[in-house]
Amino acid sequence: MSYWKEIIEGGWSLVEGMRVTVRRLVRPVVTVQYPRKQLTLSPAYRGHIEFKVFPEIGTHRCIACGTCQRTCPSGVIKVQGVKDHARAPKVATHYMIDFTRCSLCGLCVECCPTQTLKYSTEYQLEEESRWDGVYDLMARLEERRT
Amino acid sequence: MGSEMASDWIRIIVGLIIVLAFSQLNALFLVWLERKVAGHIQLRYGPMEVGPHGILQTIADGIKLVGKELITPLSADWKLFVIAPVLVFMPVLVAFLVLPFDENLVIRDMNLGVLLIFAFSTLSVLAILAGGWAANNKYALLGAIRSVAQNVAYEIPLLLAVLSVALMTQSLRFSEIVAAQCRVWFIFLQPVAGLIFLICATAETNRAPFDIPEAESELIAGFHTEYSGMRFGLFFLAEYTNMFIVSAVATALFFGGWHGPFGFSFGLPGIVWFLLKVYILLFVIMWVRWTFPRVRFDQLMNFSWKVMLPLSLLNLIVTAAVLKFI
Repeated sequence: MSYWKEIIEGGWSLVEGMRVTVRRLVRPVVTVQYPRKQLTLSPAYRGHIEFKVFPEIGTHRCIACGTCQRTCPSGVIKVQGVKDHARAPKVATHYMIDFTRCSLCGLCVECCPTQTLKYSTEYQLEEESRWDGVYDLMARLEERRT
Repeated sequence: MGSEMASDWIRIIVGLIIVLAFSQLNALFLVWLERKVAGHIQLRYGPMEVGPHGILQTIADGIKLVGKELITPLSADWKLFVIAPVLVFMPVLVAFLVLPFDENLVIRDMNLGVLLIFAFSTLSVLAILAGGWAANNKYALLGAIRSVAQNVAYEIPLLLAVLSVALMTQSLRFSEIVAAQCRVWFIFLQPVAGLIFLICATAETNRAPFDIPEAESELIAGFHTEYSGMRFGLFFLAEYTNMFIVSAVATALFFGGWHGPFGFSFGLPGIVWFLLKVYILLFVIMWVRWTFPRVRFDQLMNFSWKVMLPLSLLNLIVTAAVLKFI
């Protein structure tokens, strides 16, 4: 008897499957014709890191402590800073990331003591050489501020 | 006498050109439709770029295929390798000889038309075997072997299903079988046979979920692994034309051919009804392809020998008994 049961139940499951796909067939599509139309990006999108601009001081708050550089599992970050004089706080002057090796884990953003890092929303990145994947965050910050 | 022979030749050539043109156009349309159906089932567009809604996409692909180099592997049996794509396409053309598009639109209304179609469509598996063997590639050979095993297994229930229809009409002539369905289609009298026919026809044309001869996840591309350019194109063309033929045969045998439902034609000519039903069946075949995953080889064989064959035999015996005693 299980022979007939298997045939009937199996056949019914096939009908069920066909019902699912035909419903999909009449539903509106979710993709867009990409280069001509683009979807609005979710604000939660996590691209490469970027400096925040704090409006009260008009620039970043990086103190070049190097926590992100030491935390990064892929060794992506290189940060350097200077002190104006012996007692002055340190301020970052160079911040380079090699995005080609970044795994987007986000540890740098989380460990930053001054919360000066954020994720950018850039996803249309194209480069010709692997050195083009090295970004100068300071230069990008200057570009945004002007 | 001479002019009669000349007009015969003209008829043959014109008919051949019409059939060739139709099979090409049909394949172009079906490939586009398949990609559209696949796209929309997966909630995407499918081809959109070439022409309105991508309708010219397959023409562009065809031009690309024609322009490509025909590569013959060094170790291949080149004679067989070259001739296999032609062989696979020939039985397809023969089948058009007896397809009943309308009451008076049949090239040759033979009294063994049904038999002729099945006899010739079996030949295409030989061409697949030849192609897979000649390529001298293990994946191609495996695909060809699978194709033969599958076709042998599914031919039997297919023919048994056809036989129960032939028993009811006591004829193998398409026009008589279709004429017997002017009131009630045979799918309502023979639902099991109809279902078995559709399943086996899907397997015969190597369509998913029975497409193990060209299972790309296991066999690269199966029997046409080594084929490129228009040689591959011919295999592709033959597959889609075969789909059209099995759908047309299913329409003629089970779905009332050129008749409308229950004898109402709604003023439409027979050929419109016929083609409408054929393309609906083709859509169902595509729908099935994009719904079910590919079966494993032992499942495929079990399904044929343990389910399809006993069921079709039972159906045949019941049909014969009913016809004898009622």
